[in-house]
Amino acid sequence: MSSKHDILNALKSAAIAPQAMPVIKVAPRIDDLVGQFEASLNTVAGTLHREGGLAKLQAQVDEQIAQGMQIISMLDGIKGNREVTDTAHQLRDIDYAVIPGDLGVAENGAIWVNNKNLGHRVTPFICENLFLVLEAKTIVANMHQAASKLTLDSGEFGTFIAGPSKTADIEQALVVGAHGACSLNVYLV
Amino acid sequence: MSTSTSATHAHKAEIFCKDESRVDWHSKALWMLREKRDRAAGSLPEWEQLRQIGSEMKLHTLTHLGQYLEEFEQNCHKNNIKVHWAKDGAEHNRIVHEILAEHNVKKLVKSKSMLTEECHMNPYLEQRGIEVIDTDLGERIIQLAGQPPSHIVVPAIHLKKEEVGDLFHDKLGTDAGASDPLYLTRAARAHLREQFLSADAAMTGVNMAIADKGAVVVCTNEGNADMGANLPKLQLHSMGIDKIVPNIDSAAVLLRTLARNATGQPITTYSSFYRGPQEGGEMHVIIVDNGRTDMLKDKILAEALKCIRCGGCLNTCPVYRRSGGYSYNYTIPGPIGIAVGSQCDDTNSMPWACTLCGSCSYVCPTKVPLDKIIHHHRRLKAEAGKLPYGKASYMPLVGKFMASETALNCSMSVARMALKILPGSLLKPFSGAWGKYRELPVAPNSSFEAWFKKNRG
Ligand code: SF4
Repeated sequence: MSSKHDILNALKSAAIAPQAMPVIKVAPRIDDLVGQFEASLNTVAGTLHREGGLAKLQAQVDEQIAQGMQIISMLDGIKGNREVTDTAHQLRDIDYAVIPGDLGVAENGAIWVNNKNLGHRVTPFICENLFLVLEAKTIVANMHQAASKLTLDSGEFGTFIAGPSKTADIEQALVVGAHGACSLNVYLV
Repeated sequence: MSTSTSATHAHKAEIFCKDESRVDWHSKALWMLREKRDRAAGSLPEWEQLRQIGSEMKLHTLTHLGQYLEEFEQNCHKNNIKVHWAKDGAEHNRIVHEILAEHNVKKLVKSKSMLTEECHMNPYLEQRGIEVIDTDLGERIIQLAGQPPSHIVVPAIHLKKEEVGDLFHDKLGTDAGASDPLYLTRAARAHLREQFLSADAAMTGVNMAIADKGAVVVCTNEGNADMGANLPKLQLHSMGIDKIVPNIDSAAVLLRTLARNATGQPITTYSSFYRGPQEGGEMHVIIVDNGRTDMLKDKILAEALKCIRCGGCLNTCPVYRRSGGYSYNYTIPGPIGIAVGSQCDDTNSMPWACTLCGSCSYVCPTKVPLDKIIHHHRRLKAEAGKLPYGKASYMPLVGKFMASETALNCSMSVARMALKILPGSLLKPFSGAWGKYRELPVAPNSSFEAWFKKNRG
């Protein structure tokens, strides 16, 4: 309590005069949002499937299951072979997770995912590979538009996911697949 | 003269400069980041507008910091997040330890946080029996090597892949002689996965703290912060008081520039917003001052707190690229390190690790006037009677000398003559440290003054 008091007190002798909050008004680029989104997603090492929608995804999932993969689906309409586990740690052997995205951002290929659709918060990170499903009509131009649309209620967790996890910490060589998912496929519906 | 026991920047840079090929390699690796940054910035027509908004928004927040910090705390409480305040690094460490001890934590997984480096938290916790695992690959590499970070975004940028290979062979049992980044990264992934799954608590830094939501934003490319914070039930986040932004809209502005300016990516792979603990979990935020309110008392230094730690100013800095992160006497190297760390440098040499070329200020996404701040630090050192390298004794003489026209003209013509007729080897010693890695200039035929009289006078 007293440290809080001290810090707030010390702030009273700050030297700069109060500055006004700027208006955040940046013109969005609204031409071909899906095309922009696809190009951005490619630069962050993700892949977009424009055609085929859920049927194509289910076929993909079935094929992986046939190969013995562990797949959890958090999306109604897609059937995997694993259910939500009791603890987050039990997800450690998940090969693929299917998760619905709330909105996509054309300028950077990021997809907003909210914990209401995750089971455990760690699901999109702990799986080896990630399938995100996105409605084309939810794609917005830029982060300003995304900020005004995303939902994050009290107590929630949400994240923008832009591609598979990656690192370039060893001699600046890009390696896809650090701690999170090693690949990201996005299915447009 | 300084009475310090540590070495000056120039001294430590000299150690780094001994291996010329490494210096070239280091400089090139960072310049590559600068080029990627330029491409990313250039592809956004509104880039300059974003810099301007970013700067004004940070200034607004910094000048209303008390109000926003309190708002943030209140909203955190509503979201079931516990908030702590720490005046300095020692108090920060004590608070963290108390929380961990109360939960009987034996192993803590940590995601990149320059603030915990600033507070020297790892050794503090380790001395108290808590294992701290840095989980960002670069951080883990230098932790295994027993080194501090040499860059704020790519902390192991100074190491070659062969060195990482040897280190991993030693510590993680990878194949001897293996140096393929993909192979080494996969080995680290497997090793760190076990750490995430067996940790009792996670700690991360904070990229932005959103006042009106009571939420923190954490950005990583690797997903280490999220693997950490979302597995164990206890999550801690350390933030400087300068990390506050008013709302999600302002966070969005910074999310557009942060990664573009750091590595040229349009956004980091993960930008995660935590607005409360996971079910059955606990979330703590520690708000840290550690000298920041002092900086706010100085009009010029205050602007350093607009920094969002993208590392762009390091990548572009001609001095940083050729002297390495370890030559600065502060946890944060490069231009921003000089701006926020000069007061802690007991050799008083940091403000001179700069050519005042201004490249850093030019690339900064929030328009931190780095060159102005660094220049200001020189003045502060001079006023405090703390000029390094004996500058205090000769600078006044230089001043007098430069002020006397006759003395200056006369000696300059001697110098021009000497440069023409004497061999460089004889002259070089007179140029001191300046001439060590430089060629002596080609002497002009006449002085500027004589030229001006003849052509423009
Ligand atoms: S001072 Fe500017 S360029 Fe340097 S790290 Fe901070 S935000 Fe980036």
